[in-house]
Amino acid sequence: MVLAALASLPAAGEPSRRDPDTGAATWETQAHGVTLSLTQLLPDQVSAFYVNRGFALADAAVFARACVFMTVLRNDAAPGELSFRLADWRVQQGGETRSLPLLDDWLAQWQGRGVGAAARVAFRWAQFPPEQSYAPGEWNQGMLATGLPPGSRFDLIARWTVAGQVYEGRVDDARCSE
Amino acid sequence: MMPVAASDCARGRWTRRLCLMALLATHLASAPVGAAELPPLSHRLTALGEPAPAPALRLLDLDGGTHDLADLKGRLVLVNFWATWCPPCRREMPSLERLYQQLRDRGLTVLAVDVGEDPDTVFAFTGQLEPAPSFPLLLDPESRAAEDWRVKGLPTSFLIDPQGRVIFRAVGGTEFDQAATLEQLSPYLPAR
Repeated sequence: MVLAALASLPAAGEPSRRDPDTGAATWETQAHGVTLSLTQLLPDQVSAFYVNRGFALADAAVFARACVFMTVLRNDAAPGELSFRLADWRVQQGGETRSLPLLDDWLAQWQGRGVGAAARVAFRWAQFPPEQSYAPGEWNQGMLATGLPPGSRFDLIARWTVAGQVYEGRVDDARCSE
Repeated sequence: MMPVAASDCARGRWTRRLCLMALLATHLASAPVGAAELPPLSHRLTALGEPAPAPALRLLDLDGGTHDLADLKGRLVLVNFWATWCPPCRREMPSLERLYQQLRDRGLTVLAVDVGEDPDTVFAFTGQLEPAPSFPLLLDPESRAAEDWRVKGLPTSFLIDPQGRVIFRAVGGTEFDQAATLEQLSPYLPAR
C-alpha cells in the first residue's frame, strides 16, 4: 500500500475545548474527511467506571494510570469506507515513537491478575475498537490508553485506509490527565 | 456497587477516595464523558452491497423468554447491539423506540441485544428512558452473539429483510426515526 496522503490538519497544542464542569480537555483534528478527537479521562473517573463493573480497585488503577482518553473517530466525508487498525497508530513523545498498548495485551493482563470474566467483557466493549470500518456517516467511540505516565505530553498519529490508500491524521501535543 | 449518596460520604461511612469513586460511578452510569463532547448521531443507515444471510440469534429476554431471529422471517427486523454504559447507545435508544412505535404495525420488529450486562442493570437503566423501550431487550452476557455478528464496537445495528438477509448496518449512534432512515426502511416493510 502507498501512503497517499501525509497531509493533515494538526490540532494545535492547546485543546479544542474544555469541559466546563470537569476541566477535561479535548483535542480534535479533521483530516481527509475524518474527525478524530481525544478527551482526557481522569484516573479516578476511569477507576470508578471499572470498579463499578467488577474490577478490584488495584486492577482498575493499573489501567486508569495508563493515560486514558475517550476517543471518537468519525467518517464525515472520506472518499469511501475507511478501515483502521489501532496496531497501525503511533504515539510520539520526546523523539521516540511507540505503538499503543493493544486490547489483547490488556485482556491477557486482566486474566493473569484474576479479573473476572464479566469484568473482562465490560472492559473489552468499553475500549475503542482495535479495528473497524466506517462508511461515510459512521463513527464510534471508546476508551484508548496510550500507556504513558500521567501528565505526559505526546503526539498521536492515527492511520486508516480508504480503497487501499493510507491516510493519516495527527493530534499534536495532547496531554495525559494528572 | 451499591448506589452512593453524598450524605454517606459526609457521615464518614466511606474513605474519601472510595467515596469519590463511588459517587462518580453512581453519577456516571455511562462511560465517563459528557454528552456535550459527543459527535452528532447519524441520520442514515449504510446499505450493504451484497445482502447476506443473517447470523443466528437466539437469546433470552429480561423475563427469561426466548427470542429467535429464525422465527421472524417475513418481518423486517432491526437488531441493535448496545450496553447501558455506552453513551451513544443511550442517546439512540429513545429514537429506536419511536421508530418501533411508528412501524411495528407495518411489520418492523426491534431486538435490542445488551452486551455483557445482567438483567438488573438493564432493567434499572431502561426504567429511566422516555419513552421506555417496549421492544424485547435481549441479554448477551458473554458477548458471544456480538462476536458471531462481527460487532466491533457499540452501538452497532443491523437491518434484516423479510427473507432473513442483512441489508443495512449502522455503526455508531444513530437517530433512527429521522426521515432519511424511514425512507430507507420503507421499501422493505412487508405489504399491508
